[in-house]
Amino acid sequence: MRLLTAPFDPSARAPSALARPLLEVALIAAGGIALSLAADTLAGEWRGLGRAAASGGSHAGMIAAGWVIALGGEPRWRIPAAASAAALIMASVAARLAHAGAILYFLVPLVLVLQAGAARLDTRWIGWARPQTSRQVVVGMAAGGFLGLHLLLAASLTLGYTASVPSLGAYLAGVAYDAGANALSVEWLFHGALFSALWRRWTFWPAAAVATGAGLLRYLVDPTFPTAPEAAAGAVFYLTILGLASCALRAWSGSLLPGYLATLAFFAAYRTLHV
Amino acid sequence: MIAGPLVLVAAIALATAAVDDALAMPLRHLYLVPAAWAALRQGSSAAGLVGLMAGFCQGLQAFPMIEREGLTPPTLDALVALIAPLVVGIALGRLVDQARERGGRLDALLEIQRALGGEEPLEVRLERAVTLIRAALRAEHAGLVLQADDGTLAVVGSKASGAFRKDSAAGRALATGSTILVGDLDADPRLRAKAPRWPTPSRGLVLPLDTGSGRVGVLAIECAGDLGPAARRSVRELTLHLALAVENARLLLKERRFAQELEDKVDQATRRLREIDRAKSEFLSVVSHELRTPLTALQGFSELLLERVVPPDRARRYLGHVCTETQRLGRIVTDLLDLSRIEAGRPLELRPERVDLGELIERNVDLFAAQHPRHCIEGRVAAGLTAVSADRDAVDRMLKNLISNAVKYSPRGGRVRVAAAVAGDRPDTVELTVEDDGVGIPAEDLPRIFDRYVRIAHPETKAASGLGLGLHVVRSLAEAQGGAVEVESLPGKGSRFRLLLPAAETEI
Repeated sequence: MRLLTAPFDPSARAPSALARPLLEVALIAAGGIALSLAADTLAGEWRGLGRAAASGGSHAGMIAAGWVIALGGEPRWRIPAAASAAALIMASVAARLAHAGAILYFLVPLVLVLQAGAARLDTRWIGWARPQTSRQVVVGMAAGGFLGLHLLLAASLTLGYTASVPSLGAYLAGVAYDAGANALSVEWLFHGALFSALWRRWTFWPAAAVATGAGLLRYLVDPTFPTAPEAAAGAVFYLTILGLASCALRAWSGSLLPGYLATLAFFAAYRTLHV
Repeated sequence: MIAGPLVLVAAIALATAAVDDALAMPLRHLYLVPAAWAALRQGSSAAGLVGLMAGFCQGLQAFPMIEREGLTPPTLDALVALIAPLVVGIALGRLVDQARERGGRLDALLEIQRALGGEEPLEVRLERAVTLIRAALRAEHAGLVLQADDGTLAVVGSKASGAFRKDSAAGRALATGSTILVGDLDADPRLRAKAPRWPTPSRGLVLPLDTGSGRVGVLAIECAGDLGPAARRSVRELTLHLALAVENARLLLKERRFAQELEDKVDQATRRLREIDRAKSEFLSVVSHELRTPLTALQGFSELLLERVVPPDRARRYLGHVCTETQRLGRIVTDLLDLSRIEAGRPLELRPERVDLGELIERNVDLFAAQHPRHCIEGRVAAGLTAVSADRDAVDRMLKNLISNAVKYSPRGGRVRVAAAVAGDRPDTVELTVEDDGVGIPAEDLPRIFDRYVRIAHPETKAASGLGLGLHVVRSLAEAQGGAVEVESLPGKGSRFRLLLPAAETEI
């Protein structure tokens, strides 16, 4: 029992090792995005690829920030972050070129797994681990599925939206984007690294509120976020519920997987909505 | 489980969907029922989930209505009805949680009190109490460090985790009386922890056990998951009761020990009284016998002299016997008189004067040598020794008692040496030693050899007469004259008594 047997120094403080690498990540990501967007304006017939690279870069920035927090600011974050960024940008550009290219998004979780394993990085504490039971996976999928279904019903009853899949290729590309970029980066950074770090200092609710708020902010600055007030209000509502549910699932199961599956299920439903 | 409330939510949702808006409005308030049901059965978490589901179900009707009509009184009512099950369910559930928590805490306290009040040793009871605390707080580990009045520490409940350190969190809380909260045992720099390892943080809390009149120890708990303000309040309340329970257990232990000590002392005193009573009875019997023996001799010889005509040499021998027995009788009576004075607390009548030990030793040696021909009784006075300052008669009695004892406890004859010299360790004191090579005294009997009525049993000296008063009188007389008496003895080898008396001032 460590409280009885380990030496305790009441004046010891943790060195602030995160600020510098996080700033580094932010600068690199912002610089990369700016360059990509600038290149996009000059690209001519390749127009759009820069925007795709910028999108991949923004997700890569989130994944890199997650690595920084997960490794406590140790310099080892650079290699896995760079590998993830490469996979993300490649997948993003490939998906822009063809729907089938979106399959490369599935490389990103694979890269995360391989990097964590190869470098023997202990990322279990942020929830990069198996859930305790398979029931927790089912509960996660059910929660996301229920929210998605409710979104479809509410949007169709309220705003007159319809649920349809006009192009299966585009739909599956969207699902692949969610799996390898959107849901993964949100879960990895906000409900994994950030929530876990805050939960260690505070209790569940304050940590979940901050992590959910940060995740919501990420969607609010996303160019694809709905602009209509009623649609934006609905999106905030569902994303808040989804964020809190992900935090709860992460705390309950000790794993990011149920929350990740809940987010995937929700966005899978969301992508069928059309005006 | 919350299946029942959820089914009810679904049923209400279907019912409200099936009827028109006018009827659906009042029906919506029925959503409070499953929320309250879940709150009462499962608490705030379940009620929150059911209330959320009720809200989702209502939202499907309320949101289109708001979209159609804008914010009107009916739509506002729908919005309030949408939120109400969630709010009411959580509020009610929290009350239920708190009530259950208090109930659980009280149950745990009762169990802990019961565990601490048992008959087993305190360590066993504390071990059980710690187990109960761990269960009550759903902690992974719980440890108790108790500090006794003399500063000694007892650590309970952390056997599998190494030795207790005074510079640990618990040790510091014990020293300072402060509460220590550790957010994550794996990552807190104060514990020199480097990095978190597990998905769920391990919380740590150390609280002093304060009885109001002092700190009796600290309670440390380690648990996975949340340890929020409410849980900390619970632990704090528990530690207060625990401190009092520990204090009570200690007081009970002290009371029991005190009662046991008292009982032991009473037993000891009773035994001693019985022993004295038995000794007095024995004393009376011995005194009667001791007095009768010389009296019988006196009576016999005097009758012979009166009734018969005996030749002069025989008459002289008879008179010698009469004289010896009279002396013996005199000694017994003197001893008894001395004892009665000592027991009554009256001072012994002593007249210190200059006593020449050489003359006294010579006379007594001659006397005892004549009476005990089997013994070789020798007297020796060191050259230059003059005299002691004491009561002549008392010194004579002490010497007679010591020589008589030496003779008595040398049943097979042997050598008795009487000597006087200046004490080597005290120049102003004269030591008078009486040494024999008799049966000796066992070491365990030496401390009580000068007590009254004490006679050391030995198979070879069973027949020896005596009251068990001689040495007691010797010590009393010696101490009354500023002296002392000491003994050295080895069983089977003999004894050496050393009588110390103040030396007389040198005459000019």
